[in-house]
Amino acid sequence: MRRYIRLLGVFLRTTISLQMEYRANFVIYLVSALLQACGALFGLFILSGDGEPIGGWSYREASVVVGIFTIMQGFIGAVLIPNLNKMSEMVRNGTMDFTLLKPIDAQFLVSTRNVEPFGMIDCIIGLIIIVVASSGLPEMRPLTIVLGCVLLGAAMLIVYAIWFMLTTTAFWFVKVANITQLFEGFFHAGQFPISAFPSWVRVLFTFILPIAFITTAPAEALIGRFSINTIVAALVLALLLLVAARWLWNFAVSSYTSASS
Amino acid sequence: MKALLNKARVLLITWFSYMSAYRAEIIIWILTGSVPLIMLAVWIGKAEAAGGSMSGFTAPDFAAYFLSAWLSLQFTIAWVAWELDYQIRQGELSPKLLRPLDVFWDHIAAHLAERIVRLPIIVAVMTCGLLLVPGTRLTPSPLHAVVFLLSITLAWFIRFQLSYIIGTITFWMDRATALDEFYHIIAIFLTGTFAPLDFYPAIVRNTLDWTPFPYIIYYPVRILNGALDWPTTIWVLGVQALWVAGFWVARTWLWQRGLRRYGAVGA
Repeated sequence: MRRYIRLLGVFLRTTISLQMEYRANFVIYLVSALLQACGALFGLFILSGDGEPIGGWSYREASVVVGIFTIMQGFIGAVLIPNLNKMSEMVRNGTMDFTLLKPIDAQFLVSTRNVEPFGMIDCIIGLIIIVVASSGLPEMRPLTIVLGCVLLGAAMLIVYAIWFMLTTTAFWFVKVANITQLFEGFFHAGQFPISAFPSWVRVLFTFILPIAFITTAPAEALIGRFSINTIVAALVLALLLLVAARWLWNFAVSSYTSASS
Repeated sequence: MKALLNKARVLLITWFSYMSAYRAEIIIWILTGSVPLIMLAVWIGKAEAAGGSMSGFTAPDFAAYFLSAWLSLQFTIAWVAWELDYQIRQGELSPKLLRPLDVFWDHIAAHLAERIVRLPIIVAVMTCGLLLVPGTRLTPSPLHAVVFLLSITLAWFIRFQLSYIIGTITFWMDRATALDEFYHIIAIFLTGTFAPLDFYPAIVRNTLDWTPFPYIIYYPVRILNGALDWPTTIWVLGVQALWVAGFWVARTWLWQRGLRRYGAVGA
């Protein structure tokens, strides 16, 4: 276990020093992240233009959802995209063999080798949005903050598991470099509290693509509107998806016939 | 004239075969442009909560707007900035410059071919969308649909040339494609993809009318929905034509200047 933590540190240091070589990328990422966040908040403003709440959420409360969404974007950009999206390339080039032969757990290696530190920018912007919004939300107490963090962690695990399962299909359909875009396209719905959608869409986003648990549930917990059912459901879902991801990985590796004969 | 038609035919056929091989990827690309469909759901939710309609838009009105916006988005997509970026930086532009044809037309053909490959999916999604919200009327008459086709073609030329100009900046700057990324982010809000521009504060709308953004999605959609009277429609088409011409001049000028800088990279 300690070995894995130490390796995590090594990976972080190496990729950060590599990425920091590209100053222009940093500026570009910062501008993109700011534009996205401002756009989302402006969008909420337009949506609540007549003063009516959005699906029962006030503007301040809905901006907490935007904050959580931005943090998740940061997580996806910092951890998921630099690592998991390389899987299809690795299978195609045959370098997956080298990863599988290393003396540490291959799923760990594939998931943590690269880190895009600029993703942290999104996380910071998201945090700022939540902090600013929280000044007008009396229901935010230490308890709700802890619950919110727990659900945010669960949300990250859920997204990781889904993303991982999508990219593992590279073992069979090699040309699937874009497949995670399917998820990303619909993930944009996560900017809004789930109650803003008509009921049949809510069902879709709860049972088929669990976006409700990824952005709305942590936001609900943060602003004090949580229910024990949702919290338990989110944690159970995270666990189930992680187990499914692990199973899929083992299945993929065992049926992988390697690059050379 | 015959030579011109022949070149067009060859280009289109080649690119069509190329794009058909990427059918699966294209389907995924189409689904990533789902923002109008998501916004459709959100705005209908808002209308239902407000008791049926919001600022003159009922649920079927929103459905008509956003389905048309999705359709317009599919028709006006352009990725030529990335193509040019790759070709210039990798030196792949050199062999293309030897052809008796401006590289511009090669990219146009590629985009046109890709659009044709997309057509079946577009039709399928539009059909599902129309069935989903009962009472949705996309367009009041076939004449509106025909004028829409003209408008959306002009809109595509605006977007395409904008992307082309960004790609041309690669002659001077390494990461010019970042500008295309910025465009994507702000375009969702400025072109009317997120919400009908009717919901924007008046001062924002008036400022936007001086930019090409509303003429890429919002105005073609309103033409299709029949929300504009004929004098306004003709005026919109005129403004679109002006933007196309303006970008045409800027593009050709930049391209000439850029080519002079271009010393074939490694070719």
